[in-house]
Amino acid sequence: MTSPSSGEAVAKPASGSLSWLLEQRVLMSVAVLAVLPWLLPSQALAVNVLIYGVVVMGYNLLFGYTGLLSFGQAAFFGAGAYFTGIAIGRYGVPWFLAVAIAVLLSTCLAAAIGIVSTRTRGIYFAMVTLALAQLVYYVALQASSFTGGENGLRGFTVDRISLFGLSVNFLDPVNKYYVLMALAALAMWFQSRILNSPFGAVIEAIRENEQRARACGYNVERSKLIVFMLSGAISSLGGCMLALHLSIVPLDILHYQTSGMIVMMVLLGGARSFFGPFVGAATFLILEDVISVWTPHWQIFVGAIFVLFVLFLPKGIWGTLLDTLGIGKARR
Amino acid sequence: MPKSRSTPKLTRRTALAGLSASAAMLAMPRLGRAADETIRIGFPTPLTGPFAAEARDQVKCAELAVKLVNDKGGIGGRKVELLVRDDKLNAGEAATRTLELIEKDKVHAVVGALSSAVQLAVNEVTRARGVIYVSISQSDTINEAKDFSKYTFHEALNPHMTTSAVARQTLKKGMKVAHLVADYAYGHEMLRGFKRAQAAIGADNVGEILHPFGAADYSTFMPRLMSMRPDVLCISNFGRDQANAIKQAVDFGVKQQMKIVVPVILHNQRLAVGPDVFEGVVGGANYYWGLETQNKTAADFNAAFKAANGGAIPTDYGAYGYSGVGSLLAAMQTAGGTETDKVVDALEKLQYDLTKGPQHFRKCDHQSVQSVLVLESKKKSAMATDNDLFAIVANDSGSDEMLRSCSELGHAT
Repeated sequence: MTSPSSGEAVAKPASGSLSWLLEQRVLMSVAVLAVLPWLLPSQALAVNVLIYGVVVMGYNLLFGYTGLLSFGQAAFFGAGAYFTGIAIGRYGVPWFLAVAIAVLLSTCLAAAIGIVSTRTRGIYFAMVTLALAQLVYYVALQASSFTGGENGLRGFTVDRISLFGLSVNFLDPVNKYYVLMALAALAMWFQSRILNSPFGAVIEAIRENEQRARACGYNVERSKLIVFMLSGAISSLGGCMLALHLSIVPLDILHYQTSGMIVMMVLLGGARSFFGPFVGAATFLILEDVISVWTPHWQIFVGAIFVLFVLFLPKGIWGTLLDTLGIGKARR
Repeated sequence: MPKSRSTPKLTRRTALAGLSASAAMLAMPRLGRAADETIRIGFPTPLTGPFAAEARDQVKCAELAVKLVNDKGGIGGRKVELLVRDDKLNAGEAATRTLELIEKDKVHAVVGALSSAVQLAVNEVTRARGVIYVSISQSDTINEAKDFSKYTFHEALNPHMTTSAVARQTLKKGMKVAHLVADYAYGHEMLRGFKRAQAAIGADNVGEILHPFGAADYSTFMPRLMSMRPDVLCISNFGRDQANAIKQAVDFGVKQQMKIVVPVILHNQRLAVGPDVFEGVVGGANYYWGLETQNKTAADFNAAFKAANGGAIPTDYGAYGYSGVGSLLAAMQTAGGTETDKVVDALEKLQYDLTKGPQHFRKCDHQSVQSVLVLESKKKSAMATDNDLFAIVANDSGSDEMLRSCSELGHAT
């Protein structure tokens, strides 16, 4: 790895300020996210867009860029949240250390699940990930002295965030949003770095033609396992953010419905696009938020909209928009 | 290769101008929202999902409580507004909605929830922010010191109270008891309550079977339960699960062999499956409209509800919505406004009688001390009208002895 900016900035210097801006996908994404709380009906919704955006972004690495359809991403989302909550509530670990520990442990979990599941492909891969994620769900349900079981994990409210001598009131929704946005920005930089690296090209090669990638001498099995772990790590950071945000961890976070929702979000926003996951998460959550205030039958509307999108915008909202504007898919 | 340079006309300047203009447009409505005098009560409840019927009753009754106060001129001249939100029976969703209610809608207090996990999630959010929360769903956990705060109030019965009242009426020394239990917090807490009551009475436990939440098929459990040869079968589950489990138990001929007892006999579930299935089933309840023959408050509550809802009768879980919001508003009247510490103080001292007789919040854990009804489902021929569902077997008036002691719950005494 070289310096973080080498990937984009050096490649095309001074080719017009707009196209330079468009190539700074992390910078542009952060800029959009920074104004989000003022565009959405509530800050709580904006924070949820951030959280699910990060989770779905991690999943996109696996599904969009590598072409592995997993139905078990909720396991890592939940693991991140539970490990953070347990570290803070039970062991009194400071929040930033708790987040680091949680991501590390979740990555180990992803390695364990990945070793088993990446040996399979297609529908079998989807089923194995689903089954193993359900295993995690039932472990969390049964180990209630650690996880709170059905009642969920409670008792780890973080009300002040202190780092490098700075201390802010974390219960204030605006402060909370920007602290969590910093974590999201970190995840985005990390993902962008992966995609710009030679490894990023390898996983896309695996998606396009696995046989050919293997024939070119790449270790397909190991690449799949690594991308599975990286994807789990990024999604687990979303879980850490959720734990800090809600100050509870609901058991439902590990449910397969959460995995299904993650798949829906990535399809809505556009798989294979950098910012698509955030667009997908925002669309889904806004629809749910707005429609469920109008009618208890909100699921009919969200379901219908989803079907329409899959039928008519298979590249998702963001992917279609980029195509229409003629911006290459490798950018943002 | 597609190039970004092929996008004409869209210059940085126009892009920036367009972005800021649209941001300004979207921010407009927020500027119009000035501080007003309305008292806002947040009400998260599962309008979608398996408990939707009970949730809708809660909303109707909570709205009635608000309407009655507003009709009398509000609280200190301020109108009261109820903000109902669908928590989808999901703790994470409920926590998010509660955050929204506090941060965006600036509610003065929160009432609601209809599941153990959901109310604990709401409680976690409200207590960290010093907002009063009146829970109207059964839970033993919320009474315990770990989840308690001075802002936490529990209007509903708790599993300990309910099961001991039901057990007193149905179990005798030496009886054999089997359990069918929904495998989540509600079921576990009810089972714990029953076993504790059984031990006190001297009844024997012959077995317990856990079933998954929301199970549709109970046929595999019934033969196993029957082979245990119990005198009483306690079915501890909620909502549709209750109706499904009892229906299938009846199909298997369980009732010929043993008596079916439930911790909470649900008005809506009895309506959903009819009198023949529920005939002879005994269970606890916080409220039943038939109480009106014995109790003036119940008669008044029924009349007010009928007037507001085209002659319909209030249900058990509905009554929680009414007394949960009603007690909070009464305390706000006493406190003369919404200042949190004053309202907490008023709630702690409040003696209220809104649906069924005197109630008050116990000082140490803010549990509402109240009467517990034990009901038996009537057979069809004994029903005077379609709404004449249950016979009142017992009406235990509220006392501190019904509850677990403060020291047992971990509160300083």
